[in-house]
Amino acid sequence: MNAIFFSILAIFSLFVFMNLGKIKASKKQMDRDDRIKWGNRRRTSFFKNKTTIVEGKAEEVKDDDKDK
Amino acid sequence: MSKHSALNTFGRSGNPAFTRNFDNTGALPQTERMTLDGAVNKTAILLSLCFAGAFIGWNIPSLAMPSLIIGTILAFVTIFRNPAKAGTTAPFYAGFEGVALGGITVFAEAQYPGIGIQAIGLTFGILASLLFCYKSGIIKPTENFRLMIFSATMGIALLYLVSFIMSFFGSGIGFIHSNGLFGIGFSLFVVGIAALNLVLDFDFIEEGADQGLPKYMEWYGAFSLMVTLIWLYIEILRLLMKLRSR
Repeated sequence: MNAIFFSILAIFSLFVFMNLGKIKASKKQMDRDDRIKWGNRRRTSFFKNKTTIVEGKAEEVKDDDKDK
Repeated sequence: MSKHSALNTFGRSGNPAFTRNFDNTGALPQTERMTLDGAVNKTAILLSLCFAGAFIGWNIPSLAMPSLIIGTILAFVTIFRNPAKAGTTAPFYAGFEGVALGGITVFAEAQYPGIGIQAIGLTFGILASLLFCYKSGIIKPTENFRLMIFSATMGIALLYLVSFIMSFFGSGIGFIHSNGLFGIGFSLFVVGIAALNLVLDFDFIEEGADQGLPKYMEWYGAFSLMVTLIWLYIEILRLLMKLRSR
């Protein structure tokens, strides 16, 4: 009896998976702002933290110059 | 810096199979793109191969350990070396893991008759009910959800690794294998985390099909789902063994 119940459960669940899996998720699921962004690549955050070095002559900027 | 700095840094989900190659290649023709149908059909193929392997493992249990090692190597190759070749490696992974699961199930059945079909029924029952919850929007995975599942999964993996290393020195972390209340509670927690990893798998496949990723990602998505299902089955089997041994 036990085996029959769990066998039916397994077969029914597989049937549900095969049919429901091919249906697109509801709008409630898809149209959210807080969805996981799977496209985020790890290197982007590394680049953000790197210092940008601009070649050229360094000049001192004084606050007084802005007033002129 | 985003508030999810850990995710930005490591770029990982709860499921280690989701580490790489989620590039949106918009220039692909329609026939070259990932679809939901394709991912589900490929999961069915992998499940069939897993069952075929389990039949072999059931009849020749001595093959379980070598198959488990080969399957694990294939999983690492698929995840870290070449996800684009998932169409080649994933079927072999499913077959070898099936042999291993067949052998493990024979061992469990010898002690507790009928436990195998209970574990299979519960595994697929959880799969179907979580798929329904995901598709209908009852469970909504977010970045925080992913971070939480990832942290818990890594914590469990670390605990198992430490326990495995300690076993070489005749020691171990007793409670995770005990059939006491704490041991059963731990197993329930692990089953819960493994089950919630399925939600991340569904979201990955749904998003991949939505963005039109390359066709090979169907195999990769199916492979990810298989990794989680196999883990879930083993954890449910362990939980049932603990419950039956009381």
